[in-house]
Amino acid sequence: MIDLIIFLSLLALGYGFGRHAEKKHYKSIIKREKKLRGLPAIAAKTPTMLSKPSESRLVVGSVVVSVDYFKRFISVLRNLVGGRVTSYESLIDRARREAVLRMKAQAKEMGADLIFNTKFETASIYQGRGNQVGSVEVLAYGTAIIPPRQG
Amino acid sequence: MEYSNPEIPEGINSSKAHPLKEFLWLTSGVLASIFVLILVLVIFVDVLTSYIPFSVENKIPFPEIKAGTKQGPIPEYLQSLANRIVKSQDLPDEMKITIHYLDDETVNAFATLGGHVFFFRGLLEKLPNENALAMLMAHEIAHVKHRHPIKSMGRGLVAGLALSVISTTAGDAVIGNFLGEAGYLTILKYSREMELQADETAIKALKSIYGHLGGADDLFKILKEEAGSLEPPEFFSTHPLTDDRIAEIESYDYATHKNNKITPLPDKFQKWITEASTQSGAE
Repeated sequence: MIDLIIFLSLLALGYGFGRHAEKKHYKSIIKREKKLRGLPAIAAKTPTMLSKPSESRLVVGSVVVSVDYFKRFISVLRNLVGGRVTSYESLIDRARREAVLRMKAQAKEMGADLIFNTKFETASIYQGRGNQVGSVEVLAYGTAIIPPRQG
Repeated sequence: MEYSNPEIPEGINSSKAHPLKEFLWLTSGVLASIFVLILVLVIFVDVLTSYIPFSVENKIPFPEIKAGTKQGPIPEYLQSLANRIVKSQDLPDEMKITIHYLDDETVNAFATLGGHVFFFRGLLEKLPNENALAMLMAHEIAHVKHRHPIKSMGRGLVAGLALSVISTTAGDAVIGNFLGEAGYLTILKYSREMELQADETAIKALKSIYGHLGGADDLFKILKEEAGSLEPPEFFSTHPLTDDRIAEIESYDYATHKNNKITPLPDKFQKWITEASTQSGAE
């Protein structure tokens, strides 16, 4: 009985906070993506066209997200039956976009107009510790092109 | 070449479906599968255990068998009552009932493998008449008759194994626990069915011995008092609700007749209990 109550409150807590945080985060992601649309981040290894001699610099954006209990519960059941783990998909999607946004924000501050060779890395923070609620880091990095200042 | 940064539509890398919908589907699906799995295993175990000869039960070592006393006026009186009930329940010859008396406060009685039936002092000293005692004893002997001890042992082993596999596969202690508990509640349902079956057989035996059911409900009234307000919801319990069991007895019209003659316990019954208790206390 007590177990069930603890379990259900963990689920409710995870759902309530997790859902609220996710909605809020998506809103902010979409808003900032619009704002930074003028600064493309592309995957090509070299920019094809550079009109003037420019400076290039490494830009990095990193995010660590943690899964909530509700998402974890769904993923555990998915472990038994298989299929898309949609509860994790939205989490990782947010982390990836947030990492790109942070990278872009850094490039913007440097006055860049393009980021090329954009790459992603992920690292599981709780790797190998089965009974912990998992966290994952998503790291986005690339080379920012900074045009010469016009004096 | 111009670089552009088009707006990418939402919902490609993440699902637009409401998470609660998935939650409901997954939870009900998984719980239903566990329920069906346990159901199949219980049927499987019940069929197989009926092929185990009763004599095998005696070979399974069970530590508590040595705990009770078989000598003294109480066990002898209990045994003589048991023999009458055995006769009226038509137990096969090989099913020998052995009565054990435990000098302990616990308000309980139980039947286990090999036809061993245990009575605790705590319950016996609360019983007001022989009819209530006979109801209790007929209930426990009915468990033996229907092979319930070996069936529930088999269910416990097989279903317990299946549930532990499921809960460790889950990989999360609390969630695994939850799935295990859900399966366990399914087993309890079958445990309650056994109790009802034993009640039914016991009621028939009492009717044939005393001709009525008067006094039989006293047993459940005592059990109800003992549980107090702590009686858990039926869903979480090994036994059916005592109110339902009292109602079951009272549903027979010959239970509530005013002229039912209630057989008292032997005059010396309470004395025997205190004597046995002081003797064992002095040891």
